[in-house]
Formats: sequence, structure tokens, C-alpha cells
Amino acid sequence: MTIQMFEKPLGMRDDFPSIVKRKSKLSKVGIKIMEQFGYEMLQTPSLEYYETIGKISAIADNQLFKLLDNQGQTLVLRPDMTSPIARVAASKLLKEKMPVRLGYYSNVFRAQLREGGRPAEFEQMGVELIGDESLYADAEVILLATEILRGLNVGSGRIVIGHTQLLQQVLRGYGLDDALAEKLRAEMVAKNKVAYENMVDNLVDDTAAKNSLKLIMNTTRLEDWEQWIDQTDTVQQSLYEDMRKLKTLLDRNGLADFVTYDLSFTSHMTYYTGMVFEIYGEGSGFPLGNGGRYDGLMKQFGLHVGATGFGLRVDRLLEAMPAEQENTEQTLILFNEENEENAHIEANKLRKAGERVTLQFASAVKAQEEFSSLFSKVIRMDGEENG
Amino acid sequence: MDKLTIAMPKGRIFEEAYELLVKAGFDLPEELDDSRKLIVEAPNEGFRFILSKPMDVPVYVEHGVADIGIAGKDVLLEQARDVHELLDLEISRCYIATAGLPDTKMDEMTPRIATKYPDIASQFFRSRGEQVEIIELNGSIELAPMIGLAERIVDIVSTGKTLKENGLVEYDKITDITSRLIANPVSYRLKQKRIDEIVERLRK
Repeated sequence: MTIQMFEKPLGMRDDFPSIVKRKSKLSKVGIKIMEQFGYEMLQTPSLEYYETIGKISAIADNQLFKLLDNQGQTLVLRPDMTSPIARVAASKLLKEKMPVRLGYYSNVFRAQLREGGRPAEFEQMGVELIGDESLYADAEVILLATEILRGLNVGSGRIVIGHTQLLQQVLRGYGLDDALAEKLRAEMVAKNKVAYENMVDNLVDDTAAKNSLKLIMNTTRLEDWEQWIDQTDTVQQSLYEDMRKLKTLLDRNGLADFVTYDLSFTSHMTYYTGMVFEIYGEGSGFPLGNGGRYDGLMKQFGLHVGATGFGLRVDRLLEAMPAEQENTEQTLILFNEENEENAHIEANKLRKAGERVTLQFASAVKAQEEFSSLFSKVIRMDGEENG
Repeated sequence: MDKLTIAMPKGRIFEEAYELLVKAGFDLPEELDDSRKLIVEAPNEGFRFILSKPMDVPVYVEHGVADIGIAGKDVLLEQARDVHELLDLEISRCYIATAGLPDTKMDEMTPRIATKYPDIASQFFRSRGEQVEIIELNGSIELAPMIGLAERIVDIVSTGKTLKENGLVEYDKITDITSRLIANPVSYRLKQKRIDEIVERLRK
């Protein structure tokens, strides 16, 4: 295969000035809100060991970019931020400061399996709240995520919330063994109702159980969940009670109309152990981000504490953000050798006043008319008349 | 009311699916006389139909330019796109099978398989531990064994008539196929009430 000079590796993109501008605005808004909630920004290396982060991250092996370092160790380009942050939090540095609130705005790498057009490198921003197992921590990250969407003027959003542990308990209540429950769960993740219903029909004999299992996929309100909660089971009871408290908290913060409570909502990422959620917005055909409680992940780093958080996809936020009239005023000063000093003085004066000024040696521009037309205002200091 | 965009496959499935919607009591324009139109509005229901190649329906839905769509399970299996499968419409029933000339055995080393469904075919033979060479064709798959391009084909069978007419016999049935109602994951959440209602009405 010959590679053309302008080609880039599969899934890699150049960001042009207008996108860079929007991204920088987005990151400013996002980081400011995260910091207002008391989160401190963290950066982790682009390369990590395959043995640790590569294996612990929930990203499929064939989506990892792998390479060897000069000692023959297998490295990965970081595929997510949650596991590196868990690694940092579990290190000595932060262990004593629990609960710790960390935020990030970073690029991550995931090799694309289909269609070259999808990005293999993209930015994510989000937070991890580590060392707090209470539902208040869960509520905090959901509220923070919605606050960021509000700050970015993303319209008509929706959050879907489920609970992986409660779902697991409920499925167990039907006497399904773990392997079977896992198969049903996989269809719930894909929201493949057809396959799910066929599977239930084939696996479950009791008609009443069959019908109620099928209905799990249709829950939208927290009250809907109640009929699946075993009133004699204290674990289920207390998990459900937590969800009710969570709902009260979210309702009180104006989210009552924006949340769908779907008992069958769960994630393909197996490290989630509690509440899980996903965020959608008009304008992007793909989810804007997701999050949840992942107490299991911290254990892999030898730390027995709870953790919860979320990540938002920057590329999708850009799609969902309203296109706004940017201030594109740009002044051009064309100068010749003689007026060079005055041109600098003039430019600096205008820049101090807040204008964007391009200073250009006139003779270096071949197509002056075309070049000038890119600017909203042109000042000639090259001995020619202002046109 | 927000407009709901529905991607529909052109051709035979379209008529069956359209009839299904009419039967479910949706108020749709009676005749779609101009079959070359790519976008058809049903203002009374707030629907907009996009007419596309059957293979492209899941593409539109995955990218969210169509909220829901009707797609054959064959296409869904082949493309494995990120869409929700909400309902088995039980129309356009057929199945995918392997076929070839009667009383022939496959070459032991690397038999050649002609198909429009390279992923389904490759998965099927891999699951049986057979190494095969897949040859992707875009139509008239039956031709391949007749002229010696491939020993087996993997294709859709509905009545078996086409196979018979070309002197081919079926060997293994791979999977049953029907048309499914699919939804974009984001549209499903943003317009869940409306989409769920459509599902319930079609279910009856």
C-alpha cells in the first residue's frame, strides 16, 4: 500500500481552527464548572502498561493501540481515563485524602473496527469521586454532568439511570443462574428486545415469571421498579431505598422531567457495581456520555473504597451544542519597510483594545486582494490607499 | 409534535411494512404513487419516511438521521450496527442457508464460498471450525457454483424456487430471518413514549 503524503492513520483527524476554537471554549466552560464543584484537574500519561491499565480498562482488547517500549514491555495508548485515575488515586499520594475529587479533560485512543470515518482519538472530560460510597456522591456526579450540559447550552437532554447490582439481584430472584442472567443482561445492554424476549421464552417455563421478566425492559419511572423488588430481601430493599433518595435529590434540583429510570438499563462495562447512567442530547445520534458507580475497579488497584464518576465525549458535545454567532472580527494591517515601526505600534494599540490584529509584510503576500478579503477590516500602511 | 423520521427499505418489504402500519391504525397517505420519491411525508401522524436501499436502513438509524427504521435481520446480522431492536414484525420471512450443486462435497483445503453476506458466512464456517475463502458478490449469487467460482453459496432462501431453477440444493440452514423495527439509541430515549406506543400498536 502506498501512502499519500496528506494521509493520516486510520481514525486520526486534523482539527481545523473553527473546531479548535469551539473546543477550547467547551473545555473552559467544562473545567470551570468541575472546579466550582471542588474537583481538581489531573493529567495522566498517554502511554500506560498493557498489563495494568490495558487489561483493567473496560475497552475491548482489539480496540487498544499497542506498542512495545525499548525494554520489550507492551504499552497501550490510554483507552480511557477512569482506570488511570483509579491508579493515581490508589497510589500513596492521595490515599490519605479520601474522599478525593478529580477531574480530567484528555484525549483517549480506541482503534476503530469498522468504517474509517469514526475517530480513533477523541477527547473526554469528566470526573471521578473516589472514597465515598454514599448515594450523595452518585447524586453529585449526575448533577455536575447536567450542570456542564447546561453551561454548554445543550438542549433537550435526557438521562437514563439504572442500577447494575439491583438488576443482578432481581434476575437472581427468578432463580436464573449467573451464566443465564449474564446472557439476558447482554441483550439488555444492546436493548435488543426481540432477542431478549425470545431468550426469556426459551429459558423460563413459568408464565407469570416470563411476563414479568419481559416487562423489565419497559420500565421508565422509579415507581415502576417497585413490583420487582422483593419486600423480604433486605439488600434489594436498601438498594431501592437508595435510588428513591437519589431521585428525591435529583428532583429537588430540577431534573424531575429529564430522567428516565430504566431497571433494565445497564452497561457493557463490567466494572460498574451500582447506579449507572447515560446522557443524551438532541443534535447527536450518539450518547453524549455515561457514568456510574464502580467500586469493583478500585479493588483491582488494592484499594477497598467506593468510587463514582462520569465521562463526556467532547466530539459529541460539539454536535449537540448550538452553533453560535462567533465574533470573527479580524483586522489586517499591511505594512512596508518604511512604516514597519508605526505598524507595530498601531497593532499593539488595537490588540490592547481587544481587537484581533494580523500584522503582515505587504510584499510577502502574492495575492493581496484574495488575502485581504479574509479580514473584516484592512488598514494599509504600505503606502497604498485604503480600498 | 416532533417529527418522527422512519427509514424504510424500498421494494417488496416497503409495501408489507406500510400495510402493517396502516393495519395498526396509523393515518398514512393512501397511495405513494411516485415511487421515485426518496422522502414521503405523513403529516397526520407527524411521520417522515425515508426510502432507502434495505442495506442502508441501519446506517441511517445508527447515525440518528432516522429515529426508527425497518430492517431485515439479515442486514442487522451482517452489519452489527449500534441500534436497538425493538420488535419482530414477522414480515418478509425467510432464512439464510448454504447451498450448492447436488451431491457435491466441499474441497477439503479451502472451499470457496460466494455470498452477499461475508460476515455471516465467515462466522458460520468459523463456528464449525472450517477454513473457507469468502468471495463477496453483489447479486445473482446462484451463478457462482454453476460456473465454478465457488462450491457453496450463502444466501437468503424464501421459497427455494430460485435455487431449484438454477439446479442448486440447500445444505445447511444458518438462521431464520424476519424484518425488525429498529431504533437509534438516542432517539429512543428522547422520544421513548412515542416509539413505545408505535411498538405496542404494531405488536397487536
